[in-house]
Formats: sequence, structure tokens, C-alpha cells
Amino acid sequence: MTSLATLLPEPLDLGGYRAGTPQRAGALTMVPVYGPARPGIVPPRSGLKLKRVVGYGQVELSNGAREGVAIVPLHIGYIQDAAQNHALCASALLGAGQTRRFDDACCVQAAQGGYLEGRDQWFFVLPAELRASALALRGQHNYSKLWDEISELNRACGLPSRGHLEQILSRRRATLTQFQSRLELMPGQLGALFFLGDRFAGLELAPDPVYFAEVWTALVCFAYGVAAWRAEPEPEEARPYEAESLAELRAELARDRAVRLAEVASWMPAPARDVRMVEEERYLDLRLSTLTAGGLAGQVVTEHGRPVYASVFTTR
Amino acid sequence: MDTPTLLQHFRTHDVPLVLSRSGEPVWDDAELHRTAQLSDPEGYALLALVPGVLPWQRARVLLRTLAATQDGLAERTRATLAKATRALMFGLPPAYALTVLLALRRLRANHKHVTRAVVAFVLEHPEADALIEARRPALVDCFEHALGKTTARACARLITEAAGTAGSDGGDTGRYLRRSLLRFTADPVLAAKRVRALYAPGTYGVPAPQEPPAPLDPVREYPPIVTPTNRGDIAATLVHLYQGGPVAELRPALAGYVARATRGLPRLDASVAMVLDTSGSMRGYGEREWALMSQAVALRLVLAEVCDRFTVVETGGTEQAPAGSADLAGGLLDALGTGPDLVVVVTDGYENHLPGDLARVAATLPGAGVTTPVVRCLAAFTKGDDLTLRDPAPGLPGQAFWHQDDFAGLLAWMFAHCAPGVNWIRATMLGRLEGGRT
Repeated sequence: MTSLATLLPEPLDLGGYRAGTPQRAGALTMVPVYGPARPGIVPPRSGLKLKRVVGYGQVELSNGAREGVAIVPLHIGYIQDAAQNHALCASALLGAGQTRRFDDACCVQAAQGGYLEGRDQWFFVLPAELRASALALRGQHNYSKLWDEISELNRACGLPSRGHLEQILSRRRATLTQFQSRLELMPGQLGALFFLGDRFAGLELAPDPVYFAEVWTALVCFAYGVAAWRAEPEPEEARPYEAESLAELRAELARDRAVRLAEVASWMPAPARDVRMVEEERYLDLRLSTLTAGGLAGQVVTEHGRPVYASVFTTR
Repeated sequence: MDTPTLLQHFRTHDVPLVLSRSGEPVWDDAELHRTAQLSDPEGYALLALVPGVLPWQRARVLLRTLAATQDGLAERTRATLAKATRALMFGLPPAYALTVLLALRRLRANHKHVTRAVVAFVLEHPEADALIEARRPALVDCFEHALGKTTARACARLITEAAGTAGSDGGDTGRYLRRSLLRFTADPVLAAKRVRALYAPGTYGVPAPQEPPAPLDPVREYPPIVTPTNRGDIAATLVHLYQGGPVAELRPALAGYVARATRGLPRLDASVAMVLDTSGSMRGYGEREWALMSQAVALRLVLAEVCDRFTVVETGGTEQAPAGSADLAGGLLDALGTGPDLVVVVTDGYENHLPGDLARVAATLPGAGVTTPVVRCLAAFTKGDDLTLRDPAPGLPGQAFWHQDDFAGLLAWMFAHCAPGVNWIRATMLGRLEGGRT
């Protein structure tokens, strides 16, 4: 496994975290990340609840756990039938039992009436194509602020050019959700590096494996799956190895795999320059900051300088 | 006879057998059938009885088997062919079987076994009364072809007259009827009644029976909503075990269900290695949790009972704790290392550990001097699963399965790929004809 010490810009240090064996599904490569867990953080599916939508662009979340702070995953969104789906532009920290209203949420379903309620909901993370814009628009009270980007994404997907993210997330759900099986969550995994083709797409880091397992589907199927689905390569004809015995075949396979693993390692981005870290909020010793660097953006939660949560993606 | 290729053709080539206006039967795969029948008449006919063979392919086998001469065949083989012919005739929808009989007429096939088959179909069909009402002209054509027009009409006249002069079935008339017709039937009284109906005035617009009177494949009723526990007894019991159900109650039941599923099946005199995908996705998520793994393990338990020598190579986690990614290529190499006669790769089709490796390894095997057949069995949740992205090695023969009822056809299909499996299919189908397991 490969050390990730220099992947994130200073002062963030991923020393102690290690990259595992890459997995590939079409254009999407996922490298599992292992490392020290930070127990006690409330995970998003079992602890965090969408309480209600107060008005368009105003979403109320609550941390229903008896103890533990909840880290709201960056760009989490909720889908529900017959209601306007919303997504958040930023991450947040919610103490146990705390309810908080986000007035800068974006509607992701233009012209759909109705408010989301706390029933029958499932969550996603905004597709990578929208994340830089969404992050840049945090703090702006305008529920339709992402509709142009969503329309553009729909058009790029060959769908009607509308501000309905649901066109992709729901109608293509059967295809997108296959990514959670095409790429397997590994035991003990608490993060992942994602690559589209040979380009770094993002780093996702969770406090512990339970938290990561709960956000896994939303990340792999929707945050990175949409771009991977768009870039799905045509199946290639299998080229035989040059081997004249079973032993030679085994050796050829091992050699070829080593080459491909080394190739993935070469896709790692160089340490970023011109890094800016802006603290957005804090909860006791946890600090939520927005990170921008050359070609990278995202948010990280640190504790005593050590990353606890990170969602960092390319902006190019 | 290339059994795996032929069986695959039987299961996939769904093109009707058509009688052209010129009278010749039209079938695009006639040469394949002719070659197979000539090389092994009995094995060819028995192969058509394998569950999952398409009705139009069974019709072709029926046609080819009846149209061919049986000169030179052993008495035992002829007896088997007679039973297979009967099973096919009554296992097909009546319209399909009738097309075959009409084709035989066009081909002027007038072997004795054709006469027996046609007389049996026309006079002994379980729904003969309804069939005669609905398809009288076609059945008369077949009947007269089988016996000869003059003989058939003479028989009909004599039977009608005998009915008018009750009891005069002795003497020359009785001898003539016995020699010409009744010796081909099991129930002379019923035969006479149906011959009279055959030559009686018809009724316009009577609907013909559509369903086969003795279906060759078990009639399956698919649940409207598929759940992990309504896909067969073995898988359902396994799901309860995986979910922490009472072991003392479930384990004996599981053994009973496996015994019931394999009862009457012959042993496969071969060494079979299974590569079992035990990755996280085989466990599944939400409402489908355990569905794929339970059915894959059900297949594993059945194979363990049927195969003389059986090895399993798990890749990912374990059967009880599926986790991680599947290295199907590595698993295949490990399985081949055990020196099997057949390798069966059972997976959900998601090759996580560097996809494409299984296909490349499989493509390399012939050049590496490995001739062991490798097949892949794709575990699905329902028969409607989208498998587009779930084919890790398109070059390998593949078959999907989702229900325990699929096993009968699946076992025959996978065993067909190894030499001992051909004998297994023959023994299994002969057992069916003898009234054993169906």
C-alpha cells in the first residue's frame, strides 16, 4: 500500500493513511484508503436526518443521535417523490440533538412544487460536475442558483436541458447504483481516491469505516458515478497473454497487474500549491475549513491538525 | 456431436419451423440438426428433453428424429427413440407438433415409426377430442399420410359400419383393422371412437388446445414480487441462516431441501471446481441482501451432492461473510491448479479487482495448453436483471440463474461442456423417460 502523506497540501497531513489496491469500473478507478479512525462521529444515514424543508432553498437537518457530533457530508442532497429535491452547498457540524436550518441550500429540481419532509427520503452527493459551483455558491440565498449548471449537465448527458437533477439521479438510478457493486467497499476502508480515466477526481475521507460505509453509495454512484457513466468505455476484446503454461500465465498476470497498479500510482496529483484554508465553523476541537488550491477545492474537518473528514475534488 | 454447442443452440435459436407454400419445411439450421442426428441419434433426441430447450428446437428434433430411418439401430435405441418421440410430441404445444407431422407428410417420410407416432398423436393425444374438432383437416392429412390414404379411409369406413352393426369386429373386418390400424394403438375402443370423430362433419370456429398436455419443463409460476426468500427452498433457508435464524431448525431443513433437489439425479463422474465470488456485492444491499449469495450457495450445495469430486475456490470474503473485491482471474487459476474436468465460475458479474483480467486469462488458456472447459454462471436477482455491465468474460460460455427451478437446466448446460457430463445428461434424460425424476 502507498503512503498518502503528501497528497493534501500542508498543513494537512495524511501521514498514517495508506492507499490500498485499486479497483476499476469502466472509466472510474477507486483506490481504497485505510487509516486511523476517529470514533464518535455520527454517520449521515443512521444519525443525520432531514427534518423538513422550511421554504425553497431552506433545509432543516437534525442530529438525532444521543451523543456525538455529526459531520454533514459535503454536498449532500435529499430526494423524495412529489417534493422539490434539495442539496447543500457546504458541510457542517451538528452537535447531538441539534437542529439547524441551512438557508443557502439549492433546489435541484426546477419547477417541482412541494417541500421535502422527513419521510421516505434517500440522500445523494452532488455529481462531481456541479461540486465546484455549489461550493462557490455557499452562503448565497438563492434556491435556483444551480439550475443553469444542472441544465448544462443534463444536456451533456443527452437529456432535456432542464434544472432537474432528478433526470439523472432517478431515471438513471439503476445504472448508477451498479457502481456500488462494480466497486467494492473494502473491510476497514474509511476513504477513497477516485480517478476518472487517468485523472485524479477526488479524495473522500471519513472519520471511521462505519461513516464511510454510509456515505459510500452516495459517493460512488452519484458524486463520481455520473461522470463515470458518461465516460463508460466500450468493452474491449480480450487480448491473450503470451504464456505457454499455467505457471507462465500466472506470472504474466502478476506482472501485468504490477504494471497497472504502478500506473495508477502515477496518476496521483502533485502536492498542491497556492493553498488557501479558510475556517468556516468549529465545534469544540473540530474545525471545518474550506480548501482551495490550484485545481482543487473542497472542505475538510480537522481535529488538532489531523484530518477527520475530507471531501476534496478537482475543479478542472 | 458437439453437445455444448448444440445445447446452446437449442436454448437460444428461437426461430419457428415453417412449412412453405411449395410444401417443404423451412428451417435455417437443418444441417446442424442433420449432422447431430446422424452422429448420435439417441443422444440427439435426449438432448432435446433438457429443461430450457426452446419449443421450436424440440419440434426440429422431433421432425429430424422421425424423418430419419432407424435401420441399423439397436432395439434398445429404437425403444428410447420411441419414448423420446412420444415425450416430445406430447411435450410440445399441439400446433408445434402438428407442424412437424405435416412436415413429415411433405417430406413423404413413411417409416413405421412415423406411422406409430402419427397414430399416437391423432388418436391418443390427451386432448384429441378437442384437437380433432379444431384441426380436423390437418389431422386427417397426417392420419392418411401415416396409414396411406386408401387404408385410412377404408379403416374409417369399416369402423363406421362396424358401429352401425354393433359387435361385428371379428372376421375379415376385424383382422383388417387390427393389421392396418389398431396394432399401432394402445386402446382400440378409444381409437375407433376418435377415427369416427376424425371423419365426422366438423364444427366451425372451435378453439384448438394451446398448451402441451405433458410439459417437458416444469410449469413455473413466478412471484409477482421477487424477494430473497421466494426463489426456492434452499436459498430461502440459507437467507434465514445468514440473517441469524435458528440453526437447529434451519440446518436439518436445508439438508432436506438439498436432498429433495438432487433426488434421482445420477452422479457426475468428474472433478468439478467452482470459483465462488464472495465479494461484498454478492451479499447485496437493502431488500436484496443475501439474495445472490444464497442462490449461489444453493447451487454449490447441489453440485457438492451431484459431483463425484468437487472443489470450491472462494474469492473475496467467505460464504457467510462476503466482503471485499473479487479476483475472479486469480480464482480461476487456482481452480485450474486442482486439475478439474470442469471449472464453474459463479459470480454476480462484477469483476472488481482489475476488470478484464478474467477475460484475458480465459482467452490465454488455449494457448497455454489448458483445455479444461470453463463456464460462468451469473447469479441474478430476477430473470429481468440488466446484465449489460455484468459480463466479466464474454468469451466464456455463460448462463444466468436466479431461482432454484433454474438448476435442472443449468446443471445440464454446465455439464455438457465436459466429456463425463454428456453421459450424465443421457442418464438423467433416460431417467426422465423411464418415469423417474422429471
